[in-house]
Amino acid sequence: MNRPIYFSIAAVAVILGLMLAFQFRNTSSISHSVPYDRVQELTIEKKQLEKEKAQLDDEIDDLTAKLAIAGKSAGEANIALRGELEKTKLIAGLVPVTGPGIEITLSDLLGETGAGNASTSYIVRDDDLLKLVNELRGAGADAIAINGQRVMATTEIRMIGNHINVNLARISMPYKVTAIGNAEVLKSSLEAKGGLAEYLSTLGIMVTIQARERVAIPAFKGDLSFDYAKSVQKG
Amino acid sequence: MRVGGFQWILAIAALILGIVLAFQYRITRDVRINVPVQRAQELSAQVGQLKKERDFSQAQVASLREQLDKATAGIGGDALKKELELARIVAGVTDVTGPGIEITLNDSNINLRPGDNPNLYVLHDEDVLRVLNELKAAGAEAIAFNGQRLLATTEVRCTGPTVVLNKNKRLAPPYIITAIGNPDTLENALKMRGGVAEILQFWGIQITVKKLSQVTVPAYTGGIKFEYARPAG
Repeated sequence: MNRPIYFSIAAVAVILGLMLAFQFRNTSSISHSVPYDRVQELTIEKKQLEKEKAQLDDEIDDLTAKLAIAGKSAGEANIALRGELEKTKLIAGLVPVTGPGIEITLSDLLGETGAGNASTSYIVRDDDLLKLVNELRGAGADAIAINGQRVMATTEIRMIGNHINVNLARISMPYKVTAIGNAEVLKSSLEAKGGLAEYLSTLGIMVTIQARERVAIPAFKGDLSFDYAKSVQKG
Repeated sequence: MRVGGFQWILAIAALILGIVLAFQYRITRDVRINVPVQRAQELSAQVGQLKKERDFSQAQVASLREQLDKATAGIGGDALKKELELARIVAGVTDVTGPGIEITLNDSNINLRPGDNPNLYVLHDEDVLRVLNELKAAGAEAIAFNGQRLLATTEVRCTGPTVVLNKNKRLAPPYIITAIGNPDTLENALKMRGGVAEILQFWGIQITVKKLSQVTVPAYTGGIKFEYARPAG
């Protein structure tokens, strides 16, 4: 009998077996890594709900205390009302704030190289700033400003010609984005491998990120009137 | 080289070996998954319970605010009350209503040809960000995404088949964006030539815009508190 043939067939058998196993392992690891795993997802959701409830309970305590004060006298009621207004203005972004955070500067290389004919892909676009702000929000930033413009719920970041409008104010290069929050978390969310900083660098945008012990973010300075929205009066 | 019985037997053995290996792997994987399933059920019950508690706390906050408003009626003057109402709208802690539009977004209905990248035809963060940004630029005064109020701190993340915003509120399609503002201006901003609706339609993402004489944008469901930011000065 012909020994080498057995050996080669045996070798083929083992390789086939391994290939099948690997093939299966691959497909199963794909389905396994589909964005979320239930337990993990539920754990995060639970944590978030607990945080929300704790914040709401703080608010309940605060309002109860104010209500108690308000019942005492007109003068006290005035203090309670003013306190409520200050608190609401703070979370609305109508008050300047300070805290730890990061400072990000985006600039393209136009000025550096002096080459006036750089391709348009080197220009910082509104999309880039939108993504940056979105990333900072996702990383838990309390307050964000772009070139001194406070980012509100209704703030647009929009390219008009060669400029970008934020809060209807025209801003231009270099773009300086400041955010208050956990500096480490904010920084690492941007600097993650394959993250936004890397993406922007590949586009040819110069990104510098600096953690700061203290950054100041101004209040919203734009027009505050609501022409269409009315608060719902509860009976 | 002749093909004899031995070769056939070896070939069959190879196949069986492969299948056994595959099954072996599948079984160990099932074992690994069973524990999380139980834990997931437990967690999901806890999450349901927490949601109820959260909603209860929220209702309490709303009623306390009303009581405070009543208790301080006639105090501080109208200007102060107006300012407070305005600040509450800006902060997103109160339900608001007014004329506006309703936008429905859905993933692409294009039939992909082999070789097409399916990723290009689903809704991405950027798409949603762009739609929202256009609405803001067109003067939207309050916006909600599937009933979630957009705050100054609201992020949008498309993860697989769902969208996550307001720190882990997971939303499933169809995505409905409601915005309060001038309905004509808002609609035009989306539908203008070369506008965001046109870009999305190129990728087959379905977008419909409906003008409404009244839409309601609900308040944010959680409490809002800054962890790091403090008032300056």
